[in-house]
Amino acid sequence: MEIHKTSWPMRVLVFALFLYLLAPVILVFPISFSGDQVLRFPPTFWSTRWYAALFQNTKMLNAFWTSVVLAAVVTALSIAIAVPAAWAMTRLKFAGKDVLFNLFTAPLLLPTIVLGLAILIVFASFGLLATMQGLVFAHLVVTLPYALRVLAVALSTQDQACEEAARTLGAKPLTVFFRVTLPMLMPGIVAAAALCFLVSFDEVVITLFLTGPRISTLPVELYNYVYNQADPLVAAASVLMILLTLGIIMIVERAMGLGKTFVK
Amino acid sequence: MPVSQSAEEHLKLDGISVSFGAVNVIPSLDLSVCKGEMVALLGPSGCGKTTTLRMIAGLISPSSGRILVGGRNITRLPIHDRDMGMVFQSYALFPHMDVLRNVQFGLQMRNVSKQDIEQRSKEALELVQLGQLAQRKPKELSGGQQQRVALARALVIQPSILLLDEPLSNLDAKLRDEMRLQIRALQQQSGITAVFVTHDQVEALSMCDRVVVMRNGRIEQFGTPTEIYERPATAFVANFVGRTNRLKGTVGSDGRLSAAGQPLRATAKLLPGPVDVLVRPHRIALKPSNGLAAAGDGNVVEGTMSGIIFIGDLVQYIVRAGGAEIVVEEATRRERPSLGVGDKVQLTWSPDDTLVYPDDDK
Repeated sequence: MEIHKTSWPMRVLVFALFLYLLAPVILVFPISFSGDQVLRFPPTFWSTRWYAALFQNTKMLNAFWTSVVLAAVVTALSIAIAVPAAWAMTRLKFAGKDVLFNLFTAPLLLPTIVLGLAILIVFASFGLLATMQGLVFAHLVVTLPYALRVLAVALSTQDQACEEAARTLGAKPLTVFFRVTLPMLMPGIVAAAALCFLVSFDEVVITLFLTGPRISTLPVELYNYVYNQADPLVAAASVLMILLTLGIIMIVERAMGLGKTFVK
Repeated sequence: MPVSQSAEEHLKLDGISVSFGAVNVIPSLDLSVCKGEMVALLGPSGCGKTTTLRMIAGLISPSSGRILVGGRNITRLPIHDRDMGMVFQSYALFPHMDVLRNVQFGLQMRNVSKQDIEQRSKEALELVQLGQLAQRKPKELSGGQQQRVALARALVIQPSILLLDEPLSNLDAKLRDEMRLQIRALQQQSGITAVFVTHDQVEALSMCDRVVVMRNGRIEQFGTPTEIYERPATAFVANFVGRTNRLKGTVGSDGRLSAAGQPLRATAKLLPGPVDVLVRPHRIALKPSNGLAAAGDGNVVEGTMSGIIFIGDLVQYIVRAGGAEIVVEEATRRERPSLGVGDKVQLTWSPDDTLVYPDDDK
């Protein structure tokens, strides 16, 4: 990214905006180290008791692992489906391509509550409610459009002369794909995977319809927890979620440079 | 190096036509390239030269016609079986592979033994003097170095034809001169048949055995650089290759030519009607006017100096004569004649240097 000289008033404005946007996130950190019985700011005394409580709460821990496994599976499936789909969208010529692309990415525009209800109605008749498969399918509906969009952009901006060069050098179409197209697409795949993982890990609205006592995800479990009691345990959980998100973003940044992968 | 007439035909395009949708880019093209010859496809952008090259590589399919290599019809052969070495304008190096693996790629596709791959790729890199950079990634190389990797990658597979798509257009002027010599030397060393697409006449004339001048998907002229330059077949070729003065003229019913308000002589046969008269700026001699008609059978035009442009190697004199502007070029010397703007001058040139074409109002 280019760095421009900014004037002082502009800097102050940007700083104020960032503070406004990030204040709730920043506040979570001190609250998570509160020793109080209820959520309040500033805390009357400090302790790590809520972290200890969190790690003894099996319900929370189970929900956390469900979320991680769910996000990992959804991410893997999204990439496995979106890579060939994006390739077909950008490399093949067929009628109705644009219509199809818009159809595939339409869930991005639908209100999630509508999607959630629709999925609830359909999944109920297939016995997919409160099952891992059900959650995977539901999350795929949300993550696939992201993956498809990121990968289609990455593929269409790739220098296609490289593929042509490989073909003139004697590579058959499948070899071209695996030895040239796919390796060149790697930054796009990492970006899409990170995005899918975070979207799935974060998803609440649709998941609310599909979870129950048998299976639940971390965000849903947090929501239920706050519904019943208001102690700083949720703040401790939030801090861990923020750190996980930051960790993923930093891996992407280290691997490819954030500017290159997300901003095109 | 002129190619003898008996040279064996290696590449033949036979009645090729190409359409993109409703647009007929190449109506009908015939071309024959000899073995070991380097041929330039020269023309302005949109003339169909790159399309022709990509078609030989198999990246575009012709609507009709045949492509023959060594007598074998390859028109329907898939790209990966064509055995062409192509150098792209953007070089198209694989960004995720180092230089050595870029060069080895083509060999790996050909079931060459591991030992041969090692040896041949090393030799190819030595050939383009990049042996010491084998482990670098393409983005760590300069433009000229990338270009040489692309060349090594195309040559290492010992292709039947080397295809070059504007390979020098992304280099700066000095490097371009160097690479021109190097590409030509490599091509002659390996004795490979090469087709070179360019819009730069200097590249075409200086590097290639023969030059195809194209316009609107058609061949205007196919000949040696000297033929193209000295005996351009059409006014378009004369204008495109080298600099020319273009004067509107007429040939009278008596067969006499006049332009710029003066009678002129040309060696070519003339048909009555409006014509274009073309004269190369450096074929015109210029001296202060002495008011006397010059002797001999050269063309003589009197005029007034209206501008002097110093270019460095050249000096351009702009002379107004009979309502036309004529540019004269001379190599610069330390002692320049003391001519100034407004001076009366006399221009002379030989009838052999007077090119006359039917009026081509385009």
